[in-house]
Amino acid sequence: MNNQFTQRYEELGWEFVEVHNKHCIRVNNLKTNARELIKRLEAKGMSIKKVPFLENGYYVRSKYSLGATPEYLLGLYGSQEVASQLPVKVLKPEGLVLDACAAPGGKTAQIAEKADAVIALESQSSRIPSLVNNLERLGVSNALVYQSDARSFEAKLKFRKILVDAPCSGNFVTDKGWFEKQSLSNFNSRQKLQKEILANVLTLLEEKGELVYSTCSLEPEENEMVLQWAIEKLGLKVVPIDCIGANGLTDVFGNKLDSQIKNAKRIWPDLVGTQGFFIAKMVRK
Amino acid sequence: MIDIFLSKFGIAKLAYFNIGNRYYTASEKLLALNKEIDKKPELIGTFLGEIKDGKFSPSLPLLSIIAKDTNEKVIIKEIGENDFLYGKNLRPRHILKIEGTMKEGFLKIVVNEKNECLGMAKLKKITGNEASFRNIIDLGDYLRRERK
Repeated sequence: MNNQFTQRYEELGWEFVEVHNKHCIRVNNLKTNARELIKRLEAKGMSIKKVPFLENGYYVRSKYSLGATPEYLLGLYGSQEVASQLPVKVLKPEGLVLDACAAPGGKTAQIAEKADAVIALESQSSRIPSLVNNLERLGVSNALVYQSDARSFEAKLKFRKILVDAPCSGNFVTDKGWFEKQSLSNFNSRQKLQKEILANVLTLLEEKGELVYSTCSLEPEENEMVLQWAIEKLGLKVVPIDCIGANGLTDVFGNKLDSQIKNAKRIWPDLVGTQGFFIAKMVRK
Repeated sequence: MIDIFLSKFGIAKLAYFNIGNRYYTASEKLLALNKEIDKKPELIGTFLGEIKDGKFSPSLPLLSIIAKDTNEKVIIKEIGENDFLYGKNLRPRHILKIEGTMKEGFLKIVVNEKNECLGMAKLKKITGNEASFRNIIDLGDYLRRERK
């Protein structure tokens, strides 16, 4: 594979390889525990292996669809890709948490396990049913869900933790036609949306609160360059995180970025056989 | 209307409130948080069910809540579990044990051998010592909703 996108990755220091992401589940501690669930799934002939860097993540090999077993329907686990379990791990939910772009709700449910309460926003009405459906199935009882655009959401509340798992252009691992669909202008229009979300939700963050920004994009326009803007325009600082991945880039196609951006993590797909991801934690300066 | 439904399972009390035709149960904390946000929630706490065509239609979480306290249950074998979750009715070969009132037309919470709630069924027919049930709702509904 050689195209303008893979060439860009090469310029950023990563040589393109095809990656098939491994099936992964997240044990739902609201309804069960890992020992019980593994016993049940192994009895059905599934092969289960702990993801070493995740608290509740397990690789699963199964002849059954993981999204249709009785255990799935009972809400004992969620089918949640490895990298997508990382943002909430980095967030370390506690107190009142805002999940600014919540559907389909895997991360919201993950937050709900640790937080006192979670407020989940989703702008698209068509995505609300899957969000509510997931929370219901997983037995989440401490969530409030609103159909609301995170760019304009208002509340008389401040949040200790905010997750912005921002709408993004996605990546080639989970979308087989990704290279054909994308254009560089898409990344810039996504960047505009991502900046607007960050600017608004920051008004809802407690003075000493923490904000985690993540995308499943590998494009620096939607990642490092958004952080650079947040540092310059919103007065945020990017702090170190305990997370797998390569350091965030501070030289993007010849543009020198703030050195603190290296505290972010960029998960190239071949690192652990996952989709691409980008994660950063920010606080006020 | 929700009270009448709960009484069919011998449940006398459950704290709930409604927003329009939809019923929920939620902590005081969530209710207080909701007051700080000037919007109608799509979900608050646990959804219990809704009034549809003049009838109360229970949610799957409500059935799980009821399952903990009722003896109006049908316990099904593992072989019946998949069939029921695919939306099929319960036949005698699926059934391990029936608890509570044995009367045609009565509703039963359907549980597996681990006492996990799988849905609700109506006692359709009693023949001698055997009974069959019509599937009213089951957990497979989570998948069917997504496909709609």
